[in-house]
Amino acid sequence: MSNKRKRVDFIYQAITYIASSISVIVLSMIFIYVFSNGSGLLNWGLVVNDYHAQFYNGGIDPVTEFSTTDRPASLGDESYYSERWGVAFSEDIDREGKTIIVVDYVAPDSPLHDMFDKNNDVNEDFAIIRGNVVESIKFYDKNSALAVQGAEHMINELDTENEFREIVFSSLGGGIRGSIVTTLYVIGMTLVFALPIGIFTAIYLNEFAKVNRVTNTLRSMIEVLTGVPSIIFGLMGLAVFVPLTVRYTSADSANLVSGSLTLAVILLPVVIRATEESLKVVPDDFRFASLALGANKTQTTFKVVLPSALPGILTATLLAIGRIIGESAALIFAIGTAVKDDISIFGKSTTLAVHIWSLMTDEPANIELASTIAIIILIIVLILNITVKLISRRFTKRFQ
Amino acid sequence: MKNNVFNIKNLDLFYGSFQALKDINLTIEKNKVTALIGPSGCGKSTFLRCLNRMNDLIDICKIDGEVEYHGDNVYEKGHDVINLRTKVGMVFQKPNPFPMTIYDNVAYGPRCQGLKDKSKLDEIVETSLKNAALWEEVKDRLKDSAMGLSGGQQQRLCIARAIAMEPEVILMDEPTSALDPIATLKIEELINDLKENYTIVIVTHSMQQAARISDYTAFFLMGDLIEFDQTDKIFTQPKFKQTEDYITGRFG
Repeated sequence: MSNKRKRVDFIYQAITYIASSISVIVLSMIFIYVFSNGSGLLNWGLVVNDYHAQFYNGGIDPVTEFSTTDRPASLGDESYYSERWGVAFSEDIDREGKTIIVVDYVAPDSPLHDMFDKNNDVNEDFAIIRGNVVESIKFYDKNSALAVQGAEHMINELDTENEFREIVFSSLGGGIRGSIVTTLYVIGMTLVFALPIGIFTAIYLNEFAKVNRVTNTLRSMIEVLTGVPSIIFGLMGLAVFVPLTVRYTSADSANLVSGSLTLAVILLPVVIRATEESLKVVPDDFRFASLALGANKTQTTFKVVLPSALPGILTATLLAIGRIIGESAALIFAIGTAVKDDISIFGKSTTLAVHIWSLMTDEPANIELASTIAIIILIIVLILNITVKLISRRFTKRFQ
Repeated sequence: MKNNVFNIKNLDLFYGSFQALKDINLTIEKNKVTALIGPSGCGKSTFLRCLNRMNDLIDICKIDGEVEYHGDNVYEKGHDVINLRTKVGMVFQKPNPFPMTIYDNVAYGPRCQGLKDKSKLDEIVETSLKNAALWEEVKDRLKDSAMGLSGGQQQRLCIARAIAMEPEVILMDEPTSALDPIATLKIEELINDLKENYTIVIVTHSMQQAARISDYTAFFLMGDLIEFDQTDKIFTQPKFKQTEDYITGRFG
């Protein structure tokens, strides 16, 4: 008998072990896949750079004084240096996988500092700097040196000349600053729309509403809403919020406000349910004590019940933020897929999740950059998680 | 007659179809301790909650008869419940301080009435805690969470919180049942002191406690008020056999 009992216990225990190891393996496989694909492109430039490269045509007046700086020791073997012009180029691979020529070093006394923008009269901030991508150098009396011919060729061509017609160069594009900023804007606006409405609805349902057919119907409708696929909300956003924002604001198509409103609708049931759950676990003792002290229902709710439910409400907020960051299907309609660098809340632009979607629908799909963005999303979620935990701990420490 | 705070006439109370109180007639005298005793489920706590209308919070509860507080029936339509509860405070069975600081707990009631003056609040908090015999223990940590106090301290804090409203009556629903003997003793001493300024109605399961602290005792059984008299009479020469059986421990 006891042997049989032992076997049964062993089987139950083994099942729990196996189940949890499977979850751990699946989770770590996702992390390993994302990190192995995306970590190569992960750097600070990606986070702060614009997505669209800016092209410049730099001309130069006849040079009187050339550079006298020697090749700096810090330059690697792969860099080519022109002593006369005080500039070093090397070859690199950009975020789309193409070979490019990058400026490695510009000497302090380089004559290139005197370049002017041929397309623009205002030249104050115009300069070629480390990290710029050189497309081509055009000369007066010979063929242009092109990027495809390599860095060595370009430096050799430049080093033998005393003048050139123009250098075509660009800032390094492909950064995701715009998408990060959009994501943060959308998180903020969605929470501003969804949290007050959701929390107050939950308070009404849990504290004030009588239990009758109307409130029960309202509750089950909220539950049904939780299960509706988000793309349907996206269609609603396109049909309702986009025209509304176009009609009443300066927007002329899908924009951040319409996207945030759509997300707020998706989040409402989540926020209401989570807040209601956290209100339910507040002991009735508190409510009775408050009422017995001559407080009215509203004072009881807002001075005693709501503060006690705050950690639960913060968790609801965290769930909501996770949902906002992860949502792509609804936003494709409600916010658009255009990757932009200047973000305005009434303009088009795209969140990180939709950025991934648009990278993966490109031909060919850019899995590396998509994975890198995935890593950045994970980092943002992690930071938000820790922040909310810290806030929530401060509240519980103060009161329990 | 002038000395009666509560005058209860023909009170019936129903939970749905179950009659929890049957035709109760009782008077509660000013500045006396009235103990309500009886076995579990006899209706004594239900009766206590009728006095400050806490039974209103139970949807299926229906009440007939009159509970007169200084001559006004509190169950009359349009009676100001909030005002009643500021005059008739309550302490519960389980210590239930709010998850706030000790100071905020005591100041809660006055603040809800709109009192904002810091120095007045300070004064109320201090006198209430002193009257609840808690001041010496907490005066250095008023800004700490009330949840860090011991059970007995928490219960005295709840009493201080009730006193802060300067009520006329304090209802206590088995205030010592969750406490150890030493904490219980402190609360009983406190009740003795409070008697001077307040009218106290206390529900208790402990006959000894009723005998020790109360001036009047009401014995409830199955929703009926069997006997109500001065405490020493109830305990020395009860008129009814059920009362005698109960206080001598033959049942209950």
